[in-house]
Amino acid sequence: MQAFGNGMSRREFLYRVAAIGGSGLLLNTLDAWGSGIQSSVTTPPVLSGSGKGKSVVILGAGVAGMTAAFELEKLGYDCKLLEARSFAGGRCQTARRGFTIKEYGGEAQTCNFDEGLYINHGPWRIPYNHQSTLYYTRLFQVPLEIMVNDNDTAYIYLDGNGPLANHRIRKVEVKADMRGHVAELLAKAASSHMLDQELTEDDKHILLDYLVHEGNLTRGDLQYRGNSGRGYKVNPGAGIDPGQGIASDPLGFKEVLASRLWNVYSAVHEFQQQATMFQPIGGMDSIAKAFEKRVGKSIRYNSVVRSIRHRDNRVVIEVKDANNGTTSSITADFCLCTIPLSVLNSVDADFSPTFKDALKKVSYGPAGKIGLQMKRRFWEEDDFIYGGHVQTNFPGIGAISLPSTGWQSRKGVLLGYYNFESEAAEISAKSLQERIDFALSAGEKIFPAYRESFESGFSVAWHRVPYNLGAWAEWSDDARKTAYPIAYEGEGRVLLAGEHMSYLPGWQAGAIESSWQQIAKIHQRLSL
Amino acid sequence: MNLKSTPHIASISRIALALLGFACISPALADDADGKILFQRNCAACHQVTGQGVPDVFPALAGNTFVQGSEKDVIGVVLNGRGGMPTFSKRLTDQELATILSYVRGAWGNHAANVSTGQVAAVRSDLHADTFDPSQQNIRH
Repeated sequence: MQAFGNGMSRREFLYRVAAIGGSGLLLNTLDAWGSGIQSSVTTPPVLSGSGKGKSVVILGAGVAGMTAAFELEKLGYDCKLLEARSFAGGRCQTARRGFTIKEYGGEAQTCNFDEGLYINHGPWRIPYNHQSTLYYTRLFQVPLEIMVNDNDTAYIYLDGNGPLANHRIRKVEVKADMRGHVAELLAKAASSHMLDQELTEDDKHILLDYLVHEGNLTRGDLQYRGNSGRGYKVNPGAGIDPGQGIASDPLGFKEVLASRLWNVYSAVHEFQQQATMFQPIGGMDSIAKAFEKRVGKSIRYNSVVRSIRHRDNRVVIEVKDANNGTTSSITADFCLCTIPLSVLNSVDADFSPTFKDALKKVSYGPAGKIGLQMKRRFWEEDDFIYGGHVQTNFPGIGAISLPSTGWQSRKGVLLGYYNFESEAAEISAKSLQERIDFALSAGEKIFPAYRESFESGFSVAWHRVPYNLGAWAEWSDDARKTAYPIAYEGEGRVLLAGEHMSYLPGWQAGAIESSWQQIAKIHQRLSL
Repeated sequence: MNLKSTPHIASISRIALALLGFACISPALADDADGKILFQRNCAACHQVTGQGVPDVFPALAGNTFVQGSEKDVIGVVLNGRGGMPTFSKRLTDQELATILSYVRGAWGNHAANVSTGQVAAVRSDLHADTFDPSQQNIRH
């Protein structure tokens, strides 16, 4: 948390500003700090005043919608959440025994995993820096466990004909050897005066110290000869045999370079891909359920939004009952629409052509996942890999991810593929059985026990899922400049919220923070 | 790593046709077969192999006036996506896009003119769409 002047935290400062000037002043303050669209706030907006006697209809009881209801109801607003499904959570879902899904153009799938096993086929991990999501897991006391997002001992596997192809390499071997070889090269260049133009004599000595340490080089000849951290041929142990063990041989520098392994693996991750990640114990939908417990009484399930109309300073939403087809309408002072834009585009709304055009400028990313129940945790028992991602270049597989839960138990569900874009489109045309076969054919090249251990599969292709039609919003750079600000402003008495209205697309934090932003605007509008 | 380069697809289709007993393949037939395979790989999950789509969700391409209309507009939608439709600009080359669009504009009773690689390149440039990038996509979400 950013500190201000006399030790006052930003949050305390905001409280005081709000206490003195109300929410209008608070919003101005937030803007002045430039924490508008790209904010990464850690707590909900501090809103003063009351919402008593005012109503907000919220379209969609996903994470964004339920965040809004939870916060607005605290102020006394009368909230009505309209949810097309028979359950809340939106994409925050977990497939466990009995869970069903039917994609457009696909067969009805019922999850057949053993009791206690599950796959998070939607969001599956919470980076430590997503404090908005962690705000609610803490507030609602949703129990978390570490999600192993970075496991050095997981494999990299390159399929094909190139160098290092077709055998399993542990990530730590690549990490140690690339650092070692690059350090050696640089150290030799420095010590033979090739960098004298860049470095003073003192700089050079410090650099050499660093490189010897970083690359595990022999101090005298500055050679990289391997590193115990990359593993042994025979591990050290007791007595004489294995005794001190047998060191492993490093991968050749030219070979690693030529393999272009960095296409599937890099040591430093991007902002969202932190080593420290969390997952709720028992499944990601614990978050959805925690919200639902608090705002569930305001949710109308099986209510598919048909139209959005402005009438006499109010908003009228027409809904169709998903079960019996009857229609009804709900009127409110304001509307927060969290429906994915891919779905909203075909809802009959009285938006201006400019606004409608802006909403069409986004596209939605296809993505697919498959959970495979294995009767034996061979990745732990045979390969000593506890969680993390096996990375491959198999088209349509992306990563095979090993579960960060149920350590050393008998069975487990692993993520057999996680594909995007046109690869996801391609794989999604397959039936469940074909998807399973596809996943097994890749996995068995890496793990010999893969196919024989398989028991049951459950898959999703988000671009074919009703009420989602896509995994997450993808704004082009151009659309971010032109259409996104228009969508962000909303129209009439409708504002939009969700991951699509954030720069954290596809993350629950994006949905929550977008919701926080828009409810502050709604509160301001209705407090005038 | 994306292996969907045109030579790759072409070789698959040639093998497939050879297995079906085609001794020699005219260029037109090869293009059509490439287009069908590319369509099935990239488009059929939503628009269906029949081009009929799914009512109210994924538009039917068969008999679709937009699809058979202005080349520029159709190319633009496939490059940049729209609504639930993803962007294909990074994942398909100009030639692959032209092959797919020519197939779609001529299949299932459609009869619009073929789309050329040059037309796709021009629209890609006009719209500042992303360039083709076959590198591996790391998991991001």
